Amino acid sequence: MSTHIPRVDFGRRVLVLRRRRIAVRLQWRSVVVCALLAVAVAGTAVLALMTGSYPLSPGQVLSALTGRDTGIVHDIVVEWRLPRVAAALVFGAALGVSGAVFQSLLRNPLADPGIIGFSQGSYTGALIVILVVNGTYVQLVGGALLGGMATAVAVYVLAHRRGVQGFRLIIVGIGVSAMLGSLNTWLILKADLDQAMSAAAWGAGSLNGVSWEQVVIGGACIAVLLLLAGMLSRPMRQMELGDDAAASQGVRVSPARLALILVGVALTATVTAASGPIAFISLVAPQIGRRLARTAGTTLAPAAFVGALLCLASDYLAQHVAPTPLPVGIVTVVLGGGYLGYLLFTEARRRL
Amino acid sequence: MSNTSLMRRGAALAAALMSASLVLTACGSDGGDTGDKAVETPSVEAAETRSVKAENGTIEVPFAPQRIVTIGNTNLPFIDLGGKPVGVTEVSDSDLDVLPKEQRTVYEAAEIVGSSGGEVDLEKLASLKPDLILVQFHSNDWDKIGKRLEAIAPTVLWGLDTEWKAFADAIAEAGNVADALSRQKAEFKEKVAKIQETYGKVIDGTSFVDVSRGDWSDPGTFYIADIGCSEIARDDVGLDLPEAAEGKDPLAYESLPFEQIGELSKYDVITYPVDAAGQPTEPFVPVVETNTWKALPAVSSGRALGVFCPSNNSYGPVIRYLDSLDSALATLPAKK
Amino acid sequence: MTALALRQDGPGTETVPGPRRRLLGLVVALVVLVVLLVLSVMIGSTAIAPSVVWDALFRSSAGIDQFAIRDFRLPRTIVGLVVGVALGLSGALIQALTRNPLADPGILGVNAGASFAVTVAVGLLGVRDAQGYMWFAFAGALIVTLLVLALGSTRQGSSPVVIVLTGVCVGAVLGGAREALQLTNPDAFDAMRYWNAGSIVGRPLEVVWPILPFFAVALILAFAVSGPLNALALGDELAVAQGVRLVRTRVLAVIALTLLAGGATAIAGPIAFVGLMVPHVARWIVGPHQRWIFAYSILLAPSLLLVSDILGRIVMRPSEIPVGIVTAFVGAPVLVALVRRKKASGL
Repeated sequence: MSTHIPRVDFGRRVLVLRRRRIAVRLQWRSVVVCALLAVAVAGTAVLALMTGSYPLSPGQVLSALTGRDTGIVHDIVVEWRLPRVAAALVFGAALGVSGAVFQSLLRNPLADPGIIGFSQGSYTGALIVILVVNGTYVQLVGGALLGGMATAVAVYVLAHRRGVQGFRLIIVGIGVSAMLGSLNTWLILKADLDQAMSAAAWGAGSLNGVSWEQVVIGGACIAVLLLLAGMLSRPMRQMELGDDAAASQGVRVSPARLALILVGVALTATVTAASGPIAFISLVAPQIGRRLARTAGTTLAPAAFVGALLCLASDYLAQHVAPTPLPVGIVTVVLGGGYLGYLLFTEARRRL
Repeated sequence: MSNTSLMRRGAALAAALMSASLVLTACGSDGGDTGDKAVETPSVEAAETRSVKAENGTIEVPFAPQRIVTIGNTNLPFIDLGGKPVGVTEVSDSDLDVLPKEQRTVYEAAEIVGSSGGEVDLEKLASLKPDLILVQFHSNDWDKIGKRLEAIAPTVLWGLDTEWKAFADAIAEAGNVADALSRQKAEFKEKVAKIQETYGKVIDGTSFVDVSRGDWSDPGTFYIADIGCSEIARDDVGLDLPEAAEGKDPLAYESLPFEQIGELSKYDVITYPVDAAGQPTEPFVPVVETNTWKALPAVSSGRALGVFCPSNNSYGPVIRYLDSLDSALATLPAKK
Repeated sequence: MTALALRQDGPGTETVPGPRRRLLGLVVALVVLVVLLVLSVMIGSTAIAPSVVWDALFRSSAGIDQFAIRDFRLPRTIVGLVVGVALGLSGALIQALTRNPLADPGILGVNAGASFAVTVAVGLLGVRDAQGYMWFAFAGALIVTLLVLALGSTRQGSSPVVIVLTGVCVGAVLGGAREALQLTNPDAFDAMRYWNAGSIVGRPLEVVWPILPFFAVALILAFAVSGPLNALALGDELAVAQGVRLVRTRVLAVIALTLLAGGATAIAGPIAFVGLMVPHVARWIVGPHQRWIFAYSILLAPSLLLVSDILGRIVMRPSEIPVGIVTAFVGAPVLVALVRRKKASGL
């Protein structure tokens, strides 16, 4: 491995790692930013493990983690707090990457999988399972995934007219989402209070009661999908410059776009299955990541780290700072929406 | 609101009808793994426990539990039976408002371990060191946190479709408050018998209808209540009240536009919800104010009766309902 | 998310009908509206004979059916008319103002502000009756819209892009806060369930009358700025060159559309698609002439609302579907069809 000053001037310091024939060109600032973010994530994770309404000393937490404690203390630390922290971390990263993929794909800083109706569709699926079929939790997850995917496919097909064009996809997405939103409102209207609140709590996105099982299965899916996203990141960057430009670089635009949509939706779907829809992370994380790393286009790694940090911190706030424990999704909406508003606002003002 | 409880119960009934087969299979499998569950819940003093049958299997509960936490719909019924929980989940203000003072004091003395629609704070619950947890909430919520509750203390679960009398019996058994229950049951029987005896002749051959509106009702709509308190009036007292066809959703599920108020003219007597002071409940006021309502024969001839229904899922409030029904029937003009 | 589609809506190169045909079209739209008004009084969940309807409207006879017509069908028809006009005109205004054919008043945070205010009123202040809600909703819509405009304005004036983006963000934040309030307060949640589905039923006329003066002011303002808005469609510089005072035009248009959308939302709750679709269709018919677009929107929007409401009354007899839900189901397919048309990207 050797660092090496490149001939091409990228306009910023670039780190090139070479090992045999594989060369990874890393932007120096990105690397530093990601490292700092990783430290922040670790710090927040430790804090989350230490905090809870069941009073535990750091020593107790440590001994529980090392397996020297059993009983309720072990349960609280290892079975309750730890999977929740792990879930926030992994799911947050998945959402960040999912958003980055969509923003790059649609060349629009406000895009996320919700754009193609995924969120509303999965909520419709979940509502139907809860309110109409009165199904179990597993069925609920199945219904949500089915609903989300079916909606995404429907939007894609409806927007398809000699290829899919970003603008048309967005508009069709808005239309279909609005329709499903209406249907959801009506379903909630027809339900009784217990069922409606159960559905609404799911719809808000919550990490309460996340188990190791969910973290491990979800984490495995997410790992595979992140790998795929990494492999697709090159055509993704080239497509940011325009379909024609990408095609001239040898990218097969249509299949690449479809693959990216699939990966983006699948990442969100996995998180939705485990925790319900956690809003706004997929929208905000890539934005923050891009600004911190000061990259021109959307990049995946900073988005993943910011997503993890955002999700972890929001869940901490939701559990320990809010007057009553809240679903994490509500905090992410307020935090994310506020921050995004601030960013857009300052940026637009600068442009004027 | 009383109506809220009514709807809860209504949904429970519908759920029971819709998923009868599911429930049956679930019960079957519960029977299968009872031994497993019993082993899983270690009790502090093994000698002083007894087994209670519940939705989540046969549970070993302490003989005389001291630190009980109630979650979901078990809060108020347990307090109604004289129970003093150390932890409760939040109850809506409208339910608290109609609670007798001493019960409200008990509720407010307990630690809040979760909001009804938010999340149960399991760590806070565990830090209360309960020896018994009584739960009635949506099965999805159980799927999420049931195992963790069981890890904290013996947990008894009831589904939302549990019939209110059976629910009271089961809570009394699990929570060791059976004395209060038998007193309430006796009082209930006595009240029912008294109403039947006093108004038998009036009730006979008179058609009743119970109408209501909830906070949640779309503006400009009401519904015919056939579940909740009016179900007690129909099935226990014997009033001739409309009932949904078998296998169909309860009538209360269908919000009817105000236009349909006119259709109520085919009934002899109309009952509608009032608060403890006898005034129409706030959601129902818009109905009373319509000219169509005022023009109904039952209303103009004094045969529209306001009845107070604080709640319908434990004996205490049901007895208060019967008292209210009793005094309402007393105002009924004698039949021609 | 409507903010995503920020496209210049250039001067129409498409064939535009002449003044006579536009006028003819307007008359046809008027006739359609009148027919729908009559149908709205005639059709309902109970069968009432036309003679009884006539009786109820024009004589002072008292009977249960007559009361039903006077108390329920007539008011909801009037509310449908008023709310429809307000939604249509406010949609036309915001599309002209932002030069964005896919904008609707919701993106200025009107709905978000109204729902948030109502949730606070129900959840924290214990307001329970419809009259109480309504003023909260109106105030919430106005305050949030003004907030969005204040945040979205710079020293040089306000740009539609910034305003729209700010609206989306403020809407999202308020939406989250509202959800948090509702989830921790079952009473508020229960009472708010209907608010999320717009409806024109059960709104007593006494609460509608006080809002009418606001609508009247807005109507006058809208037609007063229709000329400058035409010029604005060509772009800021061209408009200034033609002597349009940008800031004044924008401020007046925004006041008008806020009053209209806020009032409509306060009366009926959030009703989707009417404000989005109707001006769009109007532009389709008459081309880029704001005054005509306004006139058509004023007639077509209540028609769409009444058709949806009548449909909602009959498809699930004897119960009804709130009109806000029906409009989304009628509107979304039309939107998708529109965007799939040949010149979709230009719209």
